[in-house]
Formats: sequence, C-alpha cells, structure tokens
Amino acid sequence: MFVVIVGCSEVGFFLSRALAATGHEVAVIEREPHRYQLLTENMGMVSMLGDGADSDVLRGAGVERADAVVALTGVDATNLVICQLVKHISQKTRTVTLVKDPKNEPVFDLMGVDVAVNLIHLALVALEAGVPGQPLRHLMTFQQPGMELVSVSVPVGADIVGKRLDELQLPPNSFISLIVKKGQASPPSGQIVVEADDELVAVSSIGDEQVLYDILTGV
Amino acid sequence: MRILVYGSGQLASGVVRELLEDATEIVVLGHERSELERLSSYGKVSGVLLDEPVMHDYFREAGITTADVFLALSTDDHDNLLAAQIAQRLFEVPNVVCHVENPQLQVIYATLDGARDLTVISYSVGILQDIRFAVNTR
Repeated sequence: MFVVIVGCSEVGFFLSRALAATGHEVAVIEREPHRYQLLTENMGMVSMLGDGADSDVLRGAGVERADAVVALTGVDATNLVICQLVKHISQKTRTVTLVKDPKNEPVFDLMGVDVAVNLIHLALVALEAGVPGQPLRHLMTFQQPGMELVSVSVPVGADIVGKRLDELQLPPNSFISLIVKKGQASPPSGQIVVEADDELVAVSSIGDEQVLYDILTGV
Repeated sequence: MRILVYGSGQLASGVVRELLEDATEIVVLGHERSELERLSSYGKVSGVLLDEPVMHDYFREAGITTADVFLALSTDDHDNLLAAQIAQRLFEVPNVVCHVENPQLQVIYATLDGARDLTVISYSVGILQDIRFAVNTR
C-alpha cells in the first residue's frame, strides 16, 4: 500500500522505515528544513518539505491516491486538522493518528479520523498485563465516546463479598456485564452472590473508574 | 446567556468586553494569567487558567455543559478547531463559533461535512458584528 506520513520525528521515522522494509510505498512530509535534509540525503527517504496542515502540500504528496495518511506531528490539534483536510481531499483515504490526550480519542472518532491510536491506553493495558496483581484492568474503549470496559478482581474481604449483584450500588452509566467465577463465565443475573477472587467485567464512564473501583474493592 | 470564550489574547479580550451586554455570564479560558485577572474585574466575567494540557477537564470546570455559546478565539487555528469541535460534538453546545486565520482553512471548514454547524469567522473589520450576529441568531 501507499502511505503518507506527516511529521517525521522519531515515531514517524521508525514507522516509515518499517513500512518501507515490508514492501510498502512511503512518502514523508516534514516541515523542518534541517530534518528534511537529513531524511532525504542521509536516509534516502522519499520526502517533501512543507507544512502537512496545508491542503496543497498534502495533494502534492499524493494523498489522493494514498491508502492511508498517518499524522504524527505530536500536537493533537494539528493532527486532527491534517486528518480532516485529508478527508476533505479524498474520502476514501484512511486517516490515522496518535492522540496524546486520551480524552481526545472518542472525539477524533466523531470527527472523521479513521484510526486514533491512544498511546496512553496502549501503555496502560501493557502495564496492567505485565505487572501482576493489578486489580483494575482497562479492556477497551467503545466507539461511543466516554465509555469503556474494565475488569476488576474482587479482593478477599471486600465489602461486596457476600452481596448479590442486584444489591450493588454502582455509579450512573456503570454496570456489570460479565462475572467470572473460577474459570466459569456467566451473564450477570441479579441473584448471583459475589465471592472473593471473582472477576467482574463492567462498563464504566471514563472518569468514573475510580468510583467503580472503590465500590467493587472497598473494605 | 452563558458564553464560554476559549483564548485570552487581544481578539478574545476585545470580544469579551463587547459582549458584556449580551451575556448573563462569560467564562474565559486562556493562558495569560494577567489578562484573565483583568477581565475578571468586569462583573459577569470569570477566568479559567489553562496551565496543563487537559482541555476537556478545563471545559468542564468552566461549565461547558450549560453553555449557550462557545467562542474559540485563541491565536492558534488548530487549537481553535479542536476546541470548537469538542464543544460542538462532545458537549453539544448549541452555538459554536470558531475563529480561523488561515484563508485556506476558513474555506474548507466552512464547508466540511463533519463541521457543518460550526460558524467559521475570520479577522476583519466586521468581526464584532459577525460574532454578535452568530451569537444572537441561534
């Protein structure tokens, strides 16, 4: 495929090199003359000097025939504008960017960005998976903004141990979607009694995780 | 009418003073502490200092969920476009006005599918009339 990368700092550089190494066609747009010179002369990359947030520059780099454009300027607002300009030029070109502020991820989805990679979320998931004993894990965020799926394992001695699921007082917009007991997963009927070491999968509003976590694990 | 103003530079603070009559309350979000303090000396105006990159949290602090009008008037086009679209899409502010300086972006965003209800304005002799018109006609 043909990929245009806007902003070629470290992430852009390694991504474009990895893409080129796997047989993809890559063009890079870089605004800094010095960096541009380095990329073209020393690295032999197909590069273009210019502001990627300018539709003429984007057209010049060939976004109309590109399969994807990756905006990697390091500034959320600029990356959004680049993706929207690309969509304005060519509806069928996929737009991809990294978001810094995790709260921008659902907003970007609404605004015509096809893939908003949330670095913080990826790091968080990897951290939770790699460090054992983490009681709350972020499983995924939804297309619909503001909600996510989390998983909590109930510690021994928590207040909710011995309570039925329908007795739990959860924050608004939060609910249990799955309960896992000793390897056996079941839908959360209200009659089920919570035991220690149960795994509860819950839908939560982003920002309410702490409240939910306190309710499910508080002693 | 509650108005949120994003930006505390020359344009934003000039507009705030002009809109005092139209508004019941104005909240200004900006990076310039001294300007926010100065504007807060007008009765209906309060300021929220933006000193961390957490736009959404500051918007909530400024009471965006009950705002009638959101004016993105900072000196950075891209910041304005992001802020305005967050206000419009996520917080569903009924009337969102966005200042864009770059002529190319003005044209594109005035017609962009995803940003149809955004009122794009530009710096001109008539900018105050443009803003007042946009604020009062929704």
